[in-house]
Amino acid sequence: MRTKSSRRFVLGGLAGVTSLALSGVGRAAPSGTPVRVGSTLSLTGPLGQTALVHKIAGEIAVEMINKRNGFLGRPVEWVLLDDQSKPEVTRSLYENLITVDKVDLIQGPYATAPILAGMGVAQRYQKVYIQSSMGIPKNLTYDMAFPATPFGPEPNKSYPKVLLDAMASTKTPPKSISVLTSKFPSAQFMAEGTRDEAKARGLNVALYLEYEFGTRDFGAIAARVKDANADMLWLGALGLDSNLLLEALRKLDYVPKRHFHLYPAPGPLAVSPDGDLALSSTFLEPAPPFTDRKDVPELAATYKERATKANVPYTDLDAQGAGMYTQWQILEQAVNGAKSLDDKVLAAWLKKNGADTIYGKIDFNGPNNHGPAAQMVKQVQNKKWVVVWPANFAPPGVKLIAP
Amino acid sequence: MTGVRPLPALGVGSVIVMLAALPVAGLPAFYESFLYLMFYWIALATSWAILSGFAGYFSFGHAAFFGAGMYATAHLTVKMEVPFLAALPVAAGVAALLAAGIGAVVFRLRRLRGELFALLTLAVTFIVATIILNTPIDGGAGVLTSSVPLPRVISSSPSGTLYLLGLIVCVGSLAIAWWVSRSRLGMGLFAIHDDEDVAEVKGVPTFTYKLLAFTLSGAIAGVVGGVHATYVGFLTVSETFGITVPLYVVLMSVLGGARHWAGPAVGAVLIAASLYTFTSGDQATIGRGIVALVLIVAILLLPEGIVPTVLKQLRRRPVTRATPPDAPIATQAAPKRSDAPVLVVQDVRKSFGGVHALRGVSLEVRQGEILGLVGPNGSGKTTLINMITGHFPLDGGSIRIDGQEIGHQPAHAIAQRGIARTYQIPRPFAGLTVLDNVRLAAMFGGTGLSGAALDAEAHHWLAFTDLAGKAASLPAELNLHERKFLELARALVTRPRLLLLDEVLSGLNPAEIDSAIALIRAIRDQGASIVFVEHLMRAVVQLSDRVVVMNEGATLASGNPREVMRDPRVVAVYLGKAHVA
Repeated sequence: MRTKSSRRFVLGGLAGVTSLALSGVGRAAPSGTPVRVGSTLSLTGPLGQTALVHKIAGEIAVEMINKRNGFLGRPVEWVLLDDQSKPEVTRSLYENLITVDKVDLIQGPYATAPILAGMGVAQRYQKVYIQSSMGIPKNLTYDMAFPATPFGPEPNKSYPKVLLDAMASTKTPPKSISVLTSKFPSAQFMAEGTRDEAKARGLNVALYLEYEFGTRDFGAIAARVKDANADMLWLGALGLDSNLLLEALRKLDYVPKRHFHLYPAPGPLAVSPDGDLALSSTFLEPAPPFTDRKDVPELAATYKERATKANVPYTDLDAQGAGMYTQWQILEQAVNGAKSLDDKVLAAWLKKNGADTIYGKIDFNGPNNHGPAAQMVKQVQNKKWVVVWPANFAPPGVKLIAP
Repeated sequence: MTGVRPLPALGVGSVIVMLAALPVAGLPAFYESFLYLMFYWIALATSWAILSGFAGYFSFGHAAFFGAGMYATAHLTVKMEVPFLAALPVAAGVAALLAAGIGAVVFRLRRLRGELFALLTLAVTFIVATIILNTPIDGGAGVLTSSVPLPRVISSSPSGTLYLLGLIVCVGSLAIAWWVSRSRLGMGLFAIHDDEDVAEVKGVPTFTYKLLAFTLSGAIAGVVGGVHATYVGFLTVSETFGITVPLYVVLMSVLGGARHWAGPAVGAVLIAASLYTFTSGDQATIGRGIVALVLIVAILLLPEGIVPTVLKQLRRRPVTRATPPDAPIATQAAPKRSDAPVLVVQDVRKSFGGVHALRGVSLEVRQGEILGLVGPNGSGKTTLINMITGHFPLDGGSIRIDGQEIGHQPAHAIAQRGIARTYQIPRPFAGLTVLDNVRLAAMFGGTGLSGAALDAEAHHWLAFTDLAGKAASLPAELNLHERKFLELARALVTRPRLLLLDEVLSGLNPAEIDSAIALIRAIRDQGASIVFVEHLMRAVVQLSDRVVVMNEGATLASGNPREVMRDPRVVAVYLGKAHVA
């Protein structure tokens, strides 16, 4: 008896210790040899300002992953190199990461040209390649390349559809539209889609105009926009194009009735007097209901703090930062879900399971590993970007304002 | 250029073979990629230097040729499914045609030199970019080239193929630059760099040479772009035609030494390597700042570039001076003096705006005579020499040499007909040694000499003008007397039918004047006819067989020197008329 009860006591004690140990798995600091994940970002050169946003978000992501359990219980180390905004340097640095540094895994860089330059290297060495800012999905032809942002396989159709649906829901849907775009591949591609979708819906495309990438003087373009006087202006803008065009329109005493901006500089447009009620696309904003999602409050708060410290002009978490965080979430779930660092195993796991991210569930079951599109429409209201469409993603009390 | 040792062929060959064997050495692919980028920048910078470094025509438009090659290859391989290797010669051809087209227009205009040429080439880049952006070649959507099938050369990997192509293009570019720098073309380009007008007058066909260099430069940039199109995988107009390529090639060439064939390569290696020095994400910005600072300091401290500075240092060491080649000097029987005219100038007129510099000047120079051409300042003597040598086009009249009209021929063609001149203020080619200054004149001045005979001729005339000891010096190291004699040597080495001496005695001391007079007599004794422009009347009277006096753009008097100098009209021109109160 005594023996039995002693054995029971010992077994009970062991069970207790084991259960305690098991319950602590999720919070234990990872240990052992780090899992090294390599990538480049354009930390210097013309893409540097936006790449800084990616760097901040990526560092937060790695810290949060390591706070959890790292990759397979091992800490994650991010080997980050500066590709200097040059595709040729990007390519050689990925070769360096894979063949010299021999990192375990890689992440994709920022912007279309570096992404495509790195993709060829990833393909040659059969590495999983996750990226979040590739604007032309049809070019993502590598079968182990995964998008971390739910653009969908045909954003040139899905983006305009969501926007024009939103406009159609207003009391006075636009009957005409002016479409302007920078001659930048990913912007022009979307502009053509918007023009076609608008025509298909019976809108009069009063003006379709392409301007050269890098244009700074929008005076003549603004005059044509004013002459066209459409019910809506769609601008395939990059960065400060939006502010410059709106300023040029103001000088002509013209305020567009409704204006959408594809890839604006979020901060300058939100705080500009010309930017009031400007529309753009998003997948997440740091406000309800998104802040109800796991990780978002901590990510948004930490990002704001670090972005402020780094003098980033717009300190709210935006699509760039959120996209980078999602890249890491996807990789984390693939590694820990598949319990492997083998790229082919990870790719197969992702294709089968998708990933739960701050953007919601992302699937990779469509063309070029793109799942369903999940664009939303956001608007500048009281100098802040807020989601306004679909209405169920708008914060309480916020709705699309369409004059 | 002389002074540069022949390439140690065995060593260079070994390095090339070792580099070519790298893809099968089993090294990580990064090294192929890294070295490819080195080759890429070396080839681009070297191609830029063939015109801009050698001839001094700074171009900011290299991206136009590079981009033309990129897009030609992309268009052919992606849209027309032409095999990659077949597309590369087309890329070179397209870029070469573009360069030749631009050059054929801009090189005709004398005012488009210096910064205007640089700005014009930059503008051409924008034009080419705009055309490509607004046509189906790109249309703004970019061109995806990552799926272009690459031939498998030795290595089984595409990066190995690109590496080898990069190596071939790089070695080819360096070989072309080396050959150009040592060729007649290179000598002409260096002369254009130093003083284009003088180069033309010395017989360098400057338009043709600039056009050749520009076309060659464009063709190499085009083929580099063709290879690079597949390396980057995705082409956009903004990145292809941005400021990166022109900025980097200029920087690399200036750092390494744009005038030396190897200079741009050295600059390219240093700068391309520095791009990889600070790639860590934690030190990117600071690293780039440090690299920029080092470059600024290097360029400030080594304004001629690394290679020329190092070579200059090496030359300062005591070396055994190369002895002049022992080739026989081509002898020329001195034609006897006769009344047969060598040069006939008839009713030559020239105006600059409202100023009539020449108002119908007529004169002739006879076989073997020394014709003194005198007159007060501004009388038109130097303008007339400039007209005879083709420096200025005629407004009217005719100039004939040996009965052949030369009045509308380009200066280099006139020089090749046996007319040589000196400048009142010596204008040697500052970047060439004294010997090369003379060799160049012999090379282009119609002697038809080359190789050892050319060198022997140059050394002969250096000895004749007492400059043999200065053969390896640069003109800046000569005093005025020596520079005047260098002018003479450059003229004499062409064995001219007619020698135009423009105030060759000015600024010399009495002893130097005496030696110069003796020299000019010796020149005449060798058979040349001489036009002797001079203010020093003692020398004019001593040397001249006849004298022509010019005043206000017209001939005032001519004849026996002593008689003409007593002519009251001539005296009045020089001393002024007596006015009676």
